[in-house]
Amino acid sequence: MKQTLIIGWLYPTLMNIYGDRGNVISLSKRCQWRNIKTETIMLDLGFSEDDLKKCDIILMGGAQDKQQETVAKDLFEKSRALQSIIEEDIPGLYICGAYQFLGKYYKEANGNIIKGLGIFDLYTENPGEKEKRLIGNAVFENSNFGRIIGFENHGGRTYLGKNILPFGKVIKGFGNNGTDYTEGANYKNSFGTYLHGPILPKNPLLADYLITKALEIKYKTKIILKKLDDSLEQKARLAIAKRLSVGI
Amino acid sequence: MNFLILFAGKIISKTSKILNLGHGSTWPGHIALKLNPNFVNQILKKSKTKIILVTGTNGKTTTTKLLQTILEENNKKVFLNSSGANLLNGIASSIIITSNLNGNLNFDYAVFEVDENTLPQITEKLDPDFIVALNLFRDQLDRYGEINTVAKKWENAYQKLGDTKFILNADDPQIAYLGDNLDRQTYYFGLNDPKFEYKLQQHAADSILCPKCGNKLNYEAFYFSHLGRWKCDNCKLKRPNPTLESFKYYPLLGSYAIYDTLAAILVAQKLGLTNEQIEKSLKTFKPAFGRQEIMEIENKKVQLFLSKNPTSFNESLRTININNAKNLLIVLNDRIPDGTDVSWIWDIDFETLVTQNTKLYLAGDRVYDLALRLKYSGFETPNENIFENLNDAIHAGLKEIKPSEIFYILPTYSAMLETRKILTGKKIL
Repeated sequence: MKQTLIIGWLYPTLMNIYGDRGNVISLSKRCQWRNIKTETIMLDLGFSEDDLKKCDIILMGGAQDKQQETVAKDLFEKSRALQSIIEEDIPGLYICGAYQFLGKYYKEANGNIIKGLGIFDLYTENPGEKEKRLIGNAVFENSNFGRIIGFENHGGRTYLGKNILPFGKVIKGFGNNGTDYTEGANYKNSFGTYLHGPILPKNPLLADYLITKALEIKYKTKIILKKLDDSLEQKARLAIAKRLSVGI
Repeated sequence: MNFLILFAGKIISKTSKILNLGHGSTWPGHIALKLNPNFVNQILKKSKTKIILVTGTNGKTTTTKLLQTILEENNKKVFLNSSGANLLNGIASSIIITSNLNGNLNFDYAVFEVDENTLPQITEKLDPDFIVALNLFRDQLDRYGEINTVAKKWENAYQKLGDTKFILNADDPQIAYLGDNLDRQTYYFGLNDPKFEYKLQQHAADSILCPKCGNKLNYEAFYFSHLGRWKCDNCKLKRPNPTLESFKYYPLLGSYAIYDTLAAILVAQKLGLTNEQIEKSLKTFKPAFGRQEIMEIENKKVQLFLSKNPTSFNESLRTININNAKNLLIVLNDRIPDGTDVSWIWDIDFETLVTQNTKLYLAGDRVYDLALRLKYSGFETPNENIFENLNDAIHAGLKEIKPSEIFYILPTYSAMLETRKILTGKKIL
């Protein structure tokens, strides 16, 4: 029987600011090239919990503030369902605004505090316009996937609590807060990160990890994915690494 | 003081032109404003030149050029900041080059294109007779922040202005809403043509929440990206009825260029020109640098479609598809004028807008990111068509096309300048 994965894309029309649909495209294509069927469910405003529970992988991108407020209202109603999915090891990738949102709170530049979902043990604070946004090409190192390459652009500084691991160590760029060399967060099979670019197309090992884990959980068996020709991905990675004078 | 600034500025400008330094257009203005921050204001006040500002993410240069053509063909003298250096420095430089040493400008109209993010700074320095606001799209987020923030800044700036008339795009909710709070003469342009309608929203849409209450907007039809016939079911805000919805003649292809044309026509109408005068002048229109501009090289035709964000990229692809493009070069750079973040290429609808009949050539600083994007859209570009050198890419394409065909080039901003430089054999700016 042909394997099937259901990709749940949270708020595709509102949280899609930095080309994050590239992550959905990456997962779908890498499955398709291996003859794994995929279906993408658009979990837009007012989505049902039943649809969320069907998903084998969850993706959520960043947004503008206004969009984020609207999304917050909607997602709070379904935060329990999202939390149990994350606790059940369903793989997920949460970028920028979505990543901040999984934490305890986000303190705006004016001191206003926006409550987060509290699923990740972390918080984010925006130091205001006097401090620079953290912008640029970035590389971080993860022990499983090697060097992850992307682009970051965020005003908020995120600080991790004791109950969560960083996604990786900053090699080039700013990472969570520009001071402690951590980037992103990893809890069970869920990953939060500031890197877009989008992150998956240029980091195929990470994309394949999410696919592998999703299949293993769904089909309860060890999965070894068919190798793909990633030479173009490698060239794109090398071009940036060379410019940043880092190895990959 | 201004006499000295003008004198020195003119010398600097001439010298850098002669030496082909390439920075001639903004340097003198930069120095002038350092010496006298009110330089622009003072000179413009002295003259009786009517000031028209054109702003928006896409279409500023084309709209400015259209307006220039209409006015000049009707015997008006028009003053521009035309080299794409669209900041206050650019305007100050234009003044230095164009005015006499006493600071007199002998022009009926000044048409300035103003970057969406610098508009509030510009309006603090001068009081325009017209502001034309075309659209707000996601563009260079790494520099400019989010479009809601930009719109908010505009709103604050507009409240402070004097007797300015506003020409606004009714189909862009964010822009149309600006008129809602303005106690000024406001005129709207918009599209009303089934030919350009899409029932489904294109992916790269930005402003789909109601600018007033934040509810999701309801669209009867989309014309391009988030531009269309919209209304809010919650607070009842809706697209204002446009003063101008169509015209007899359009000099450029594509719905995005038609918006620009309507904006320019509406200004011209408000300045008292008749539709006959406008139509006649538009027939002489020649596109601005890189904006559907056709160039000839080695007896072959090249057409440039500046494409600087997902929206303009989609529209460019759509337009060249209508022309049945056989050979297409895409050039992606990530320098400051392009935006250093290239993730927006994943928001371009290559999947549906590139056809297998089109042979692709890829180049630019981020050529491998571009090749990767296309690979994931189902278009594997053979290695020999991926070029690290733009010159090689252009010549490979030129070699391939027949004399009757057009070689289409879609470049980002700095790539467009570089392409023109290669095609003309010299540096511009």
